[in-house]
Amino acid sequence: MSYAHITLPRLLLSLGLIAVAIGLSRRSRLGLERALLWGALRGAAQLIAIGYVLLLLFNHEHPAWVALLLAVMLVTAAATAARRVEHGPPRSVLFPRAIAAIGAGALVAVVPVFAAVVPLHPWYEAHYLIPISGMMLSNAMNVVALVFERIFASARSEADQIEALLALGATPRQALERQVRATLGAALLPTINGLLTVGLVALPGMMTGQIVSGTPPEQAVRYQIVILYQLVAVAAVAGLVAVAFARRLLFTSRAQLVLPQR
Amino acid sequence: MSSTLEGRELVVVREGRTILDGVSILVRPGEGVAIQGPSGSGKSTLARALATLLAPDAGAVLLGGRDAREIAPAQFRTRVAFLAQQPAMFEGTVLGNLGTGPQLRGESLGPAQARELVGAVGLDEPILLREARTLSGGERQRVALARALANAPEVLLLDEPTAALDPDAGERVVALLRDLRARGLSVVMVTHVDAHARALGGTLYRCERGRLAVDA
Repeated sequence: MSYAHITLPRLLLSLGLIAVAIGLSRRSRLGLERALLWGALRGAAQLIAIGYVLLLLFNHEHPAWVALLLAVMLVTAAATAARRVEHGPPRSVLFPRAIAAIGAGALVAVVPVFAAVVPLHPWYEAHYLIPISGMMLSNAMNVVALVFERIFASARSEADQIEALLALGATPRQALERQVRATLGAALLPTINGLLTVGLVALPGMMTGQIVSGTPPEQAVRYQIVILYQLVAVAAVAGLVAVAFARRLLFTSRAQLVLPQR
Repeated sequence: MSSTLEGRELVVVREGRTILDGVSILVRPGEGVAIQGPSGSGKSTLARALATLLAPDAGAVLLGGRDAREIAPAQFRTRVAFLAQQPAMFEGTVLGNLGTGPQLRGESLGPAQARELVGAVGLDEPILLREARTLSGGERQRVALARALANAPEVLLLDEPTAALDPDAGERVVALLRDLRARGLSVVMVTHVDAHARALGGTLYRCERGRLAVDA
C-alpha cells in the first residue's frame, strides 16, 4: 500500500503539538497542564494497545475474541456514560441502563448494515466489525451521557411544572414531555450538525483514513455515508432508550415524581 | 356530584423522620376543611398525600370509598385537584394554561368555558390572552384555580393558597373558595393564617408533629 510510514521518532515529534497546548495553558494560568499531558499519554497508550490487540485479533480471527473485544468496548462506553451524573441516581443504577441503551443503539445500527449493505465474510470479520462498532458505541456513549446529564437536572429544576401537570391528570410521559424534547434535542444536536457540515467543514475520520491508506475516494465516501446514517440511528435509538429508563427512574408506578437521592 | 375523600392512618417517613404519624381525615361531599399548624408539622405533606402526589409508607387514601390505588392516577387527579403553594404557570397564555387539563385527555376547552372559568375565579376576560408567566402572585393563584376547575373536580386540595399573597388578595382567594364550596365542591385548605381557616367555614383541624386533631 502507498502511504507514508510514521516512524517512532516522527511520532514523538508530534508530541510537540501537546507541548504547544501545555505552553498556552501555563501562560494563561488555565491549570490544564497535567490533564493535557495525562490525556495525551493515556490516549496514545490506549491507541497503541488497541493497535496490538487488533493485530492479534486479525491474525487469530475467532468469533469469541471479536465478541470479547466488543463487550469490553460496550462496558467501557457504559461506565463512561454513567459517570458523574449530577442530580442523577448513583452510578450503580445508571450503569446497567447505559449498557442497555448503548447496546440497543449499536445493535440497531450495526446489524442491518452488516447484513445487507456491507456483507461480512465471515460474519465476524474483525476488520470491519470492530472499527465501525467502535464508532457507533462511542456516539451512543455521548448521547446517553448527555441524556442522563440533562434529564435528571431538568426534572429537578422544573419539578414544580412536572408536578403541576401530574396534578392535572398528566401521565408521566405527558408530564415529562417538555424536558424529554429539550434533552433529546440537545443530545442529538452534535449528530445532526455532523450530517449538515460533513464534507463542508470536516472530512470524517473514517473516510480520511481510508483515503490516506489508498482506498479510492468514491468508495471511501460511500462508506462514510453509510457510517453517517448509522450514527443517526445509533443516536436516536440510544437516546430514546436512555430517556425511557430515566422516566422509569423519575416516576413511581402510581405516577408520582421521585427525584433521585444521591 | 361529589365523593367523599378519606385519608386512613397515613404514615409518611422521609429520611428517617416521621412526617405523618398515622393521620386520618374524612372530607364529606361539599365540606370545607381547613388544616392549620406550625411549619414542619406535616400539613403540606398531608395535602400532597391526599392528592396522591406522594406515596405514603402506610395507610391509604380513598375516594368515594374506593382505594386510590385502584383508580388510575390520571382519573383520580382530575377528580381531586391539587394546588401547590406557588402554582407553576406553563409557558404560553392564560387561555393555554386553562386548557391544559382537558388537553391532556385529548379534549379542548371552548372559548365560552374559558370565559366562564376566569369569571368564576374573579378575573376579567382580557387576561386570557396574557402570558401566564408574567402574572402577579394573586393572579397566578386564581389562574391555577381556574386551570384546576377546568377538570371539573369534586375535591379541591390547596396547600397554603394565601401564603404568597398580600392580605387583600389572600382574603379574596378565601372568599372565592367559600363560593366554590357553596356550589358543592369539597375544599381542603392548608393554611397557617387563622383568619383564613375560619373564613373558609367548615371543620378546623390542627396538625402538630405529624398528627391531626379537630380544633375547637
